[in-house]
Amino acid sequence: MRYRELVITASLIAVATACLGQRERSYDNVVVTQTRIDARDLGYAPEDVIPDGESGVTSLAIAPKGDLYGATSGTRSHLFVLSPRHGYVQPLGVVPHATSITNAIAIADSGDVYLGTSPDGHILKYTPSEADTQQIQIGKPLRVADLGQPVTGERIFALTIDRNANILYGLTAPNAHFFSYSIADAKFHDFGVVAEKIPFGEKFEKSKMMSRMLVVDQDGMVFASGEDGAFFRFNPKVQKLEKLGIHAPAVPGREPWTRVDAFLLDPSGVIYGGTSDGYLFRLDPATLTVTNLGKPLNQYRIDGLVRTPDGRLYGVGGTEEEMARLFSYDPHSGAYNVLGFIDVNRRPYYTWQAYVIGALACGADGTVYIGEDERISKLYLFYP
Amino acid sequence: MSRWSRSAAGMLAIALCMIALQAQAPSKSITVDYRYFRGLATMDGNWAALKAASDGKVYVGLACHGCNGPLVYYDSASNKMVDVGDLARLTGEDGLGVGPQSKIHAKFGEGKDGRIYFATHGGWWFDYARFATQEGYPGSHYMAYDPKSGKVQDFGIGPRFEGMNTGAYDPKFNRIYGLTHPRGHFVYYDVATGAKVDKGRINNWDSICRTLGIDDQGNVYGSFGAGRIFQYDPRTDAIRELDARLPIRAKGRSLGRDYDKSETAWRVVVWDGETKRFYGVEESASTLFSFDPAAPSGSQVKTLGQMCIPGFAERRDVPYATLSLALGHDRKLYYAAAGAEFDYGGSAGVAASHLMTYDLRSEKIEDLGEMRLSDGRPVLGTNAADTGPDGTIYFVGAVGVTDDPSDPGHGGTIQGTPFRLALFLFHPRAD
Repeated sequence: MRYRELVITASLIAVATACLGQRERSYDNVVVTQTRIDARDLGYAPEDVIPDGESGVTSLAIAPKGDLYGATSGTRSHLFVLSPRHGYVQPLGVVPHATSITNAIAIADSGDVYLGTSPDGHILKYTPSEADTQQIQIGKPLRVADLGQPVTGERIFALTIDRNANILYGLTAPNAHFFSYSIADAKFHDFGVVAEKIPFGEKFEKSKMMSRMLVVDQDGMVFASGEDGAFFRFNPKVQKLEKLGIHAPAVPGREPWTRVDAFLLDPSGVIYGGTSDGYLFRLDPATLTVTNLGKPLNQYRIDGLVRTPDGRLYGVGGTEEEMARLFSYDPHSGAYNVLGFIDVNRRPYYTWQAYVIGALACGADGTVYIGEDERISKLYLFYP
Repeated sequence: MSRWSRSAAGMLAIALCMIALQAQAPSKSITVDYRYFRGLATMDGNWAALKAASDGKVYVGLACHGCNGPLVYYDSASNKMVDVGDLARLTGEDGLGVGPQSKIHAKFGEGKDGRIYFATHGGWWFDYARFATQEGYPGSHYMAYDPKSGKVQDFGIGPRFEGMNTGAYDPKFNRIYGLTHPRGHFVYYDVATGAKVDKGRINNWDSICRTLGIDDQGNVYGSFGAGRIFQYDPRTDAIRELDARLPIRAKGRSLGRDYDKSETAWRVVVWDGETKRFYGVEESASTLFSFDPAAPSGSQVKTLGQMCIPGFAERRDVPYATLSLALGHDRKLYYAAAGAEFDYGGSAGVAASHLMTYDLRSEKIEDLGEMRLSDGRPVLGTNAADTGPDGTIYFVGAVGVTDDPSDPGHGGTIQGTPFRLALFLFHPRAD
């Protein structure tokens, strides 16, 4: 009895102290293990850093040679690169006429980096040069080639690439057009929309529902989600966008407000994804079947999903009003592991926790890159 | 040992501790008056929430972790303490089974309409395991108390799921400003338009600065990062990060307190309309500084001295800076320095606070000595201060108690010593 009282008292003291906004050691138990995570400033601190208010990381992509490219959103959009050999973030410049790039970096086999911008809705091409020999100049314009606007009046909502075919695919907002861009022919093609109407809802709900990402399967088919959570497939052989009879997992009745947040092509050929309600699913493109794998977290959203070389999936959940958590999923056992808050505690040097995540990517060596999307944002490196 | 004898032994130990504290013959002490918050003996803390309004009423927000905190005021004219009500009832959340409105954790402000503006805060956070859940804290309410009608107006929840860690009200633009906990966003409520605005993240949860300063032009200042200062201009609705740096202590010498508490921000600032400067105490070593927003870049911040109790000055274990800084009518800054690391039930030890002053005219720091009540009991710590219209300096903090049958209970214990909260009054002219 006395031991129990002591335990309760000790717990209350710990909790009470934590409530004062100061870090207790117990907090280390609810965050990612500290030997497996670190953070990078977006630049060369303290001066040559992408400014606060412009640093929300909303796109990450790995180039064929292993470099990580990232784009930010805010009052301006910046492009940056991280070479795994060097390990630091090098800002490359301000993306012209862009305030955001959302899941819209696509990198060709050639190494050319394609950017889909908002709000002006253009596709830009950045050709990398010897970035690490250049001095960082925050604010300098990024040198790009403007390839044009796929759909007049629309911004780019998501972008991906079929590296085999050298074709870009994208979605636009607000009207959910699906388009392609042939790099060889330098031509856009608008294949119609994946959502006709804004779903019935409250007056503040003004968005047509479409996936935040696109995915290209091993046969070159492109998948998206659209209205009512339905999957859409673009078949490049017949150049046709079709609405499929399968849907992203949702609680019955919530389909109109369901979208796919993240897609991931597994080497086995199946597609993994996460929904706005926080469900993980598996989509078999051959049989067009969807398997609901459940919810790793009691939070909405799957902000990003990656596969590491050992076959595990890593993802992050949580909305812009919550505190994001990292989880893993083992496809072999079907087991989830909740890894905790995305927090880096390197006192006395620095400490920072990411509450909102904008993008994930996995490097060739298995490093999981996690991009924070807040007014002050950093890039996190998680080592599974 | 029987339960009774264990209890008796415990009481004896507490009594001996109290006697020892009272019997200590300090080399120097000052006497402060005090008022208990009667009927609220179990309230367990107060941080920043103290306002001596122009009509002589002194508003206080008391904390109750795990339960609802009350708004109270002391009417200096009638010498009465009034309990306005607990915050869950005032926000209409009573009985909903959600995380309680446990406190007002930030400064009040007085509007041109005479109303007292403030925002509420949560209590326990459970390592954020309940953040944004059904049973979690629903979010801070923006509110106003009208002394004329005695009624509270609830403007609703501002930041969802978050508390108002830090706050300030600006009568010029009629806005309640705040820094949220845990996500460290800069937010405001525009009373005239009803707009609730979130300007985004300023800092990490464990190092959110505890005081927002507002100059006479309505610009809002706070500290962030490693001793940096930001400015929010309501005319442009934009945040600007200044080049100025606070005189925070160098890091890396100890894992001790630095692990548990931020040592990167200013703890408290007050605006002086005469010199057009802020005066403040930073949190790492209680260093006093001035901050002149209009000065050229590079000369905005000046170090003025150290406001901790003499003897701690060069030590690593200088007690954490308190929020108890006020500018007196006599052009002196009054600061209640903790005698030991003080945070109510989380305090490191039992020791008397000292009242420190800094004379803006002579630029001298003076230790007025231990703060003691007329019965000899020491003030065990404070975390709020303000100056009344008659020049009285008010503090809210803790004092050791033995049980009072007419008003039983205590707010917790500090290293075995039961304490309860009290409003302390210091009259500079009478001292």
